Amino acid sequence: MVAIKIERLTKKFGDFTALSNVSLDVQPEEFVTLLGPSGCGKTTLLKLISGFLEPSEGSIKIGGTDVTHVPPEKRDTALCFQSYALFPHLTVRENLEFGPRQKKIPASERKTRIDDVSEKLDLTAQMEKLPNQLSGGQQQRVSLGRALAMRPSVILFDEPLSNLDAKLRDQVRIEIRRIQKEYGLTAIYVTHDQAEALAMSDRIVVLNNGRVEQVDSPELLYHAPKTKFVADFIGDANIFSGTIVGQKGENIVQVETAIGTIEFETPTAPTSKKVNLCWRPESAVIGNTGIKAKVVHRAFQGHFTDLMVETNGTIFRVQAKRVEAQEGDDVQLSVAPNEVILLDQSA
Amino acid sequence: MTVQRVNKILLIALLAVCAIWLIIPFTMAVLWSLVDPSEPWTADKVLPPVMSLFRWTDMWENSSLKSALIASYTLAPSAAILSLLLALPTSFALGRISFLGRELAKMLCLLPLVVPPFITAIFFTSLLFQIGLSSWRPGAILFAHSVLFMPFAIRILTVSFEQVRQDHIDAARDLGASHWARFKVAYLPALKPGIFATLLIVFIQSIEEFAIAFIVGSPDVVTIPTLLYSALGQDYVRPNAAVLSLILVVPNVLLMLILERLLRSANPTLSSGKG
Amino acid sequence: MKLRRGLLIIGLLTPGLGLILALIGTVVYIAVSQSFGYYSLNGTNEFSTEFWSKMAGRKAFKRSIQYSIYIGVFSAIFSVALAYPLAIWLRKPFAGSNFIGAVLKAPLLVHGLVAAFLFINVISYHGILNQFMQWLGIWSEPRRLQNDPNAYGVLILQTWKNMPFALLLLTGAVQSISDDVLDAARDLGAGTWDRFRRIIAPLTVSGMQAAMVIIFIGAVADFSFQVIAGPTNKQSLSQLMVSFKGRGDWHSAAVVGVSLMMIALVGSAILAVVARMVMRGRIK
Repeated sequence: MVAIKIERLTKKFGDFTALSNVSLDVQPEEFVTLLGPSGCGKTTLLKLISGFLEPSEGSIKIGGTDVTHVPPEKRDTALCFQSYALFPHLTVRENLEFGPRQKKIPASERKTRIDDVSEKLDLTAQMEKLPNQLSGGQQQRVSLGRALAMRPSVILFDEPLSNLDAKLRDQVRIEIRRIQKEYGLTAIYVTHDQAEALAMSDRIVVLNNGRVEQVDSPELLYHAPKTKFVADFIGDANIFSGTIVGQKGENIVQVETAIGTIEFETPTAPTSKKVNLCWRPESAVIGNTGIKAKVVHRAFQGHFTDLMVETNGTIFRVQAKRVEAQEGDDVQLSVAPNEVILLDQSA
Repeated sequence: MTVQRVNKILLIALLAVCAIWLIIPFTMAVLWSLVDPSEPWTADKVLPPVMSLFRWTDMWENSSLKSALIASYTLAPSAAILSLLLALPTSFALGRISFLGRELAKMLCLLPLVVPPFITAIFFTSLLFQIGLSSWRPGAILFAHSVLFMPFAIRILTVSFEQVRQDHIDAARDLGASHWARFKVAYLPALKPGIFATLLIVFIQSIEEFAIAFIVGSPDVVTIPTLLYSALGQDYVRPNAAVLSLILVVPNVLLMLILERLLRSANPTLSSGKG
Repeated sequence: MKLRRGLLIIGLLTPGLGLILALIGTVVYIAVSQSFGYYSLNGTNEFSTEFWSKMAGRKAFKRSIQYSIYIGVFSAIFSVALAYPLAIWLRKPFAGSNFIGAVLKAPLLVHGLVAAFLFINVISYHGILNQFMQWLGIWSEPRRLQNDPNAYGVLILQTWKNMPFALLLLTGAVQSISDDVLDAARDLGAGTWDRFRRIIAPLTVSGMQAAMVIIFIGAVADFSFQVIAGPTNKQSLSQLMVSFKGRGDWHSAAVVGVSLMMIALVGSAILAVVARMVMRGRIK
């Protein structure tokens, strides 16, 4: 059984379509991230799942029950807010108890839950403090704990790490994942930070302009993006359009692009002559064969060197270890055919 | 039902209540002020049978309306200016100097607002009798108004002084500005809205003030509120009371609208706090 | 240096705060002194509790106290009770919300005496309300509504005049609660009533206390509404005080005045505490 089943979900605000025809299945105990730039519809989708918005079309099922028109207070979801949204007049304990009290959970059961949550999140020393007496990281944990105390079947995160400093962010990221696994929760996590998404998720849903671009595991998204948008949004990519000019062997296709001929490997030859290709900057090998290019910018980054190179007026990016070439030097580089990715023709 | 639907229904219901709340009372007042004395407006007629501006001209010529208007409109601007001048030094201290007990001082400034006005009025009169100044009525009213409405002035001006930016003052000094030039470039722009707001608020409060004017001023000084009070009391003639009510309310509304605009442009937090 | 600074501050505070303290201080001092027999205008000037004990025996005085407290408490409660739902409704702007806000706040611009006139004009014996009820056929003949014995007229006027002020304070307080906090409560299972009781009420309690106290002090000391629209067989404390003063009985007026101040002070403290207890909404 799927934990969350979203079917053909559309949300319109007047003339503006915030989310268009989105379908998604989330498996129990899966950690799914909604990723995209601001305004892509990821927060709208989260609000539809939590119940703060009602869809214009489509349906949402949680654990097999249709909840499309159920208000948030009656849904078995718990949301961790970006701003934490702790109740400023209540102590940590009262904040944690708020949900279970509303659900009329008996006192003994409440106590076990709160003790359990406070211990797992290391909040036992903070229980009688008010939210404004806590550090940002502690507030974040209270917000997580408040959601956990609900024992929801689905936990939702709305960019929970964006108010933390970089170091703390890494730490809390690991903690959220640990807790989610420990409690066996189904989680939906919204972020615009691709590194965060890649590091945490079982699967990532990439959204753009209210549409799903691609749903895949982090590895597949990085190594086999389907669209220009995904290729560009996740990691760095060199994207070229070109024309198929020939074939080499059984499944290597040759394409003429602005920077010269690029070969890529594919089991089935594309139907159209015009194709879009991409490859990652670190896939290029600098050597004595291949495309000739001039280095226009060089930036040493420690574990690699970032080069902007130019061929026939087109500038693209190459990353490699131990590069001797300086700005103004000429280099030759090649990309292995199995590192080149064929993108969808559209857009 | 969607939120928009609920809001729409509530809106219509509320507008109906507003009609009862504002429109009907004011329409009735306007109609009554137009009743011509030649024929009375009896209960069986929807509109007054004969309408004229007779009451308006009559009130203007044959009552103390003129002197009341003169009294009120001399008193109010004087009180506004006096209150402003008295409040400026205190506001400067509260807004720009940090000292022990500043919060207490700010609280104490609100005292006139919590003492019931009739108590202030009566025992201020008593004080005037004690020190033998009981014949000095207009001056006494002016003094009382200036001091009693100073809480508004101090509060607004303190916020204005707080908003003067230290780096503007420092920049002016750094560029060699004299005291006066410094005041003009750094203080005045930040203070201007506060000064206008103060003048308007004290003006409106003074025009409306009843207790002091009634107790301290009677029987020599008549302001518009005391005139209206007697028109509603011992010499109650409904059309005349209607005329006076309208005269008292119209300038108020206009001034308040200006004030609201002014406060909104000056400082949004100010418009939401009286005390 | 320190001394100079201190003197400068005192110098700056004198014309403003100094005058306020001098005036209010003297007024209160004279009121208290006169209530104990000092500052008599006819020469005798000695301490005496005679005026207090005489006043305490007066029935009219007790009735006035009860009546003023009744007006003060109910005006404050009605104004706040009416303003709360409106403030919550107007929390988020929507088409027309500015207009509604302006209409609701309009009574702030209308002088109390004008309001009283408008009101008695509507409810008078041949006023529009009587005519309307007769036209509907609900009342067979006009009824006397003015100066009703339960002072409903005064309460209506007080509420009309003070509700906008409560609305102003409460709108500010309600708007300062973030959407996320209310959404969080909702997400955790709190319905409309629970959100009000557990979140909105405790977070706006100080704004509500301020509104309660200020309206109470104003209404408990009411004079003009009472004279124009109030019951003719009862007197408010202010009215009683003014009538003593009118007869030249300054000492009795002072007794009433000091009582009025004490009632305003003690009453607002009690109201504030009760409001906090009722609205606390703490889980415990």
